[in-house]
Amino acid sequence: MSDESNELARTTGHRLEELEKGLFTSDLSVNEFLLIKEVGYHPLGFVMGSSIYHTGIQTRKWGQSQELTKLTEAMYNARELAMTRMEDEAAQLGADGVVGVRLDVNYYEWGKDAAEFIAVGTAVKAEDGVSRLNKLGKPFTSDLSGQDFWTLLQTGYAPQGLVMGTCVYHIAHRGLAQAIQSTGQNLELPNFTQALYEARELAMTRMQDEATQLGASGIVGVRLEEKTHQWGSHTIEFLSLGTAVTKTSNDVTLAKPITIISLDN
Amino acid sequence: MASLESASASATTTTSDLSIDEELNLHSVGWQPVDLVSGVSVFSVSMGIWNWGQGEITGATKAHENAFSHAIERLQRDAVRAGGHGVVGVHIERSVHRSHVEVSLVGTAVRPIDAVPIGPDKIFTSDLSGRDFSLLIAAGWQPLGLAHGSSFVYAPRRQISTVLAQQSQNIELTNYTNAMYVARETAMERLQTTALALAGTGVVQVQVVEGPMSFASHAISFATWGTVVRLRGDAHRRMDPQMVLPMNDLHVAFEAATLQ
Repeated sequence: MSDESNELARTTGHRLEELEKGLFTSDLSVNEFLLIKEVGYHPLGFVMGSSIYHTGIQTRKWGQSQELTKLTEAMYNARELAMTRMEDEAAQLGADGVVGVRLDVNYYEWGKDAAEFIAVGTAVKAEDGVSRLNKLGKPFTSDLSGQDFWTLLQTGYAPQGLVMGTCVYHIAHRGLAQAIQSTGQNLELPNFTQALYEARELAMTRMQDEATQLGASGIVGVRLEEKTHQWGSHTIEFLSLGTAVTKTSNDVTLAKPITIISLDN
Repeated sequence: MASLESASASATTTTSDLSIDEELNLHSVGWQPVDLVSGVSVFSVSMGIWNWGQGEITGATKAHENAFSHAIERLQRDAVRAGGHGVVGVHIERSVHRSHVEVSLVGTAVRPIDAVPIGPDKIFTSDLSGRDFSLLIAAGWQPLGLAHGSSFVYAPRRQISTVLAQQSQNIELTNYTNAMYVARETAMERLQTTALALAGTGVVQVQVVEGPMSFASHAISFATWGTVVRLRGDAHRRMDPQMVLPMNDLHVAFEAATLQ
């Protein structure tokens, strides 16, 4: 797999060479651009990675809740491919990190079960020349916006990497007898509740494992997304995403926020 | 071509689609709005080119590039006639159809307060809002123009045997991924080339529209644009933002979504 990803990275050579001459590109807004300059970073380039991926087929048992490992693997591998390619581009630019990372999945008409997984972000470098690479010697990645990045650095924490966990889960259908029994009653549906809990836990645990590997002390800005993609109603992907952070400086004087009342709605 | 463009509005009235806040912001950095200006360009594409072939669909790419640069030129000529030094808050509407590509731009011409008109070669165009423009100026940067790039590439079809073999597998579709990479690299390179031609040192707020089109599922389009900037003076000026905590109550409406 790494051979392929290198090959694709090679085709980006010319574009990245131009960026090394001192032009930067970035999808940051002006606000974000200025805030990133404010904390001593300079943008280097808009970096991207993508992979168009075919997800396999896995049979589901109508009445059984279970993880669909083949689909979980597909969702994870494809995102990982896109992320790694984006990181490769950033490393090639000599970046310290990538901020404002967005991960997207797009479905097109290329055939059933084929989807484009894409990761984009802005590669940045510290202006003081001190390396900010993470524990694994790679540029850090983070899905924090420019505003959140500024705020995070004020608190003495630094991002280490974008971490994610995913779990595709099939939730059992209820039997007819069960459905009839519960008609007209107030009652918890324990099999549904249990299945949702389990899937969520699996996704969260996997995300935390990634953070541990990075030696992070916490994960901020965690989002938990539930999507059915194109699998029909009882199959759900739980995706948790967040930025792993570590404390880098202890003497932090946080400015007290000024309270204001805005006169417009 | 000049006959297509409207005659210059009288210089005594100011038209602008900037909000009051944005106008105030502009004034705070010593600029003022002059007039609402626009530029439109439609280029035809021969309909047969979309579905079969290899590599880049040069006809479509050329049409798109031309439509973009002609629309910008017209917008700038309009702005020069109005006495502007640049155009901010440009709304970009672009659409790609089977038979043509259309780009239309509307923005507000601005100039430093009481400045004299300048020539068309020095004028800039930017899709930054009035407020972003003011911030950029305050930080010691200036916009130089709109950089753009696009590329349309054929995505090779898979053979039936391959489709069947891959039916049940988790596998990357390298032919599509490669086509996507070619489109992206070519378009981004063009964006950078136009930025360098404007003597820029950076492009901010880069926007990307990508993917196959509804009428041509085996062609990938990638279009990108952004505002080219460079430092005006010698150094970047720090903004020293302060943290504020608005004490207005967030207006949250209770919403009970039905469980399905």
